Amino acid sequence: MTIALSDLTAPRRRGLRFRPAPWLYLLPALATFVVWVYEPLAHAAWLSLFEWNMLPTAPIHWVGAKNYQNILALPKLWQALRNTGLYILGLLPLSVIIPLGIALWTHDLPARARNFYRALIFVPMIIAPVVAGAVWRWLLDPGHGVVNLGLQAAGAPPIGFLSDPNWAIWTIIFITGWKLTGFSTLILSAANANLDPSLIEAARMDGATPWQIVRHVRLPLLSASILFLVMMTILLGAQWSFSYINLLTQGGPLGTTNNIYYLLWDFGFSTLSVGWSSAAAMLLFAGFAILAFVMFRLIDRYSFHEH
Amino acid sequence: MSTEALRLAAGAPPRTLAKAPARWTFGTAGGHVVMAVLAIVSMFPVYWMVVTSLRPANDTFDTALWPTAASLDNYAYALNAIPMAQMLANTVLVSGVVTVIQLFTGLLAAYSFARWRSRASKIAYACVALTWLVPFQVVMIPNYLLVAQMGLLDSLAALILPHFASALAVMLLTQSIRAFPLEVIEAAEIDGAGSWRVLWSILAPNLGGTIASLAILIFISTWNEYFWPLLLSRTPENTVVQIGIQMFMTSEGTAWGPLMAASTMASLPILVFYVVLQRQVIQSFMKSGLRG
Repeated sequence: MTIALSDLTAPRRRGLRFRPAPWLYLLPALATFVVWVYEPLAHAAWLSLFEWNMLPTAPIHWVGAKNYQNILALPKLWQALRNTGLYILGLLPLSVIIPLGIALWTHDLPARARNFYRALIFVPMIIAPVVAGAVWRWLLDPGHGVVNLGLQAAGAPPIGFLSDPNWAIWTIIFITGWKLTGFSTLILSAANANLDPSLIEAARMDGATPWQIVRHVRLPLLSASILFLVMMTILLGAQWSFSYINLLTQGGPLGTTNNIYYLLWDFGFSTLSVGWSSAAAMLLFAGFAILAFVMFRLIDRYSFHEH
Repeated sequence: MSTEALRLAAGAPPRTLAKAPARWTFGTAGGHVVMAVLAIVSMFPVYWMVVTSLRPANDTFDTALWPTAASLDNYAYALNAIPMAQMLANTVLVSGVVTVIQLFTGLLAAYSFARWRSRASKIAYACVALTWLVPFQVVMIPNYLLVAQMGLLDSLAALILPHFASALAVMLLTQSIRAFPLEVIEAAEIDGAGSWRVLWSILAPNLGGTIASLAILIFISTWNEYFWPLLLSRTPENTVVQIGIQMFMTSEGTAWGPLMAASTMASLPILVFYVVLQRQVIQSFMKSGLRG
């Protein structure tokens, strides 16, 4: 009994002796995260219970849960949430499905050609969102943009890509996807090239057709990479489109391109309603955390399944 | 089939074996077409930006694929209309400082996480990893208020401060320090090297690859950042080039030539960098996964 007790307490006592060095090394990074992420998160939760217009001299009123009730009653919020879902669904083909198809189709290109394409399709990834927004605005200009000039040359009427409520959200999704498609293709191509060649050879020798090899060998082996890209799109897709919304449509026409991230910005810095913006931020954070938790569980399960 | 099996048994690498017979099948030709289309869609906007920026002012709406008479008028206009040179210098400064600081704080924290493990440090590591769960838009108002309180609105310092540390740098560096052979560190400690010396004279020089790819990633993403400068910028002299580009897009109409010239100037440093270090840039992005 005594031996067991001392066995238990010995390592614990060693753990309790405080050594400053590890924490001194951690201090700069941890302090940054506390000051710029965690404290602000708590601050936002606090502000979501008040009514305030951000002017230092203006009064701050306690309103409790009223901000939440008010924004939940806003059709604008529900439209933005629906649009956020549309952004994510619209991005999935551009960030996962098309790249997957291309990666599988082009796996037997000679290395030199592949490196050449690789260098070109990666470029949109390093182009600044503001630059991408400016250039696409120019390409899609209703009067002088080459895309509409091309449509006119083909005899089609010009399209208000950014001003037509039926087109605007798809235009923003396309521009967001433009930055991602090449990069996702690179990720999936690399994963595809790293598959164990003996598995594919074995299937080939068993008489599997190319399609059967893709369906029953390559796709299951790629599932971890695919799931990773799906998760990134679901969690970050709507966030990536923020720059384009702000630069190109400001949420319009008629709120059709508004999403939850843009709504936060709109509440906070256009209408200066701190309480509403913070309440919406808290709802977003809660939803985001739940979604991330579910996605991580899924990934865990899949990667276990593989081994 | 049997010859293939034979060759396999003889130890020929199976991948070259599978590839060798068909170089120019229908499938490969199709693959070239698909890749070429994707490459054109990826590059054409960038190309069109440069071409438009080089057209003389009255040829902006020209649609020739090549500028018939190249001119730098748009560049001169953009440089004069706003303090573009100052903004570019600001962007270089902010991106450079953020890169150095994030690597520094990242190395310190990663060393601690990899070297001393305890229950408390595990919790601290989780706190670092979970910052990823907080979208910037959620904390933007408190961050803005904090900067205002410090009297730093409209300053370059405010653009740098929230980027003093990044979860990505801490986590990537922790992984690579953990992969470093512990015996080497312990041998140095037996020789009397303190933890500070171990970090800077043994670990840091051996993490060159990870540090370089992180530096590329941090520099480019800071260079391209838009949202935080947008919140803070008041005067053109105190902001970065991304905000400068936006100044050419007004609701009354857009000066396309100067806008494309400003966009080209803002992209040029990154594009030149990419042309020189292409392989490393692609690798560092792929290592970290997707970032917006």
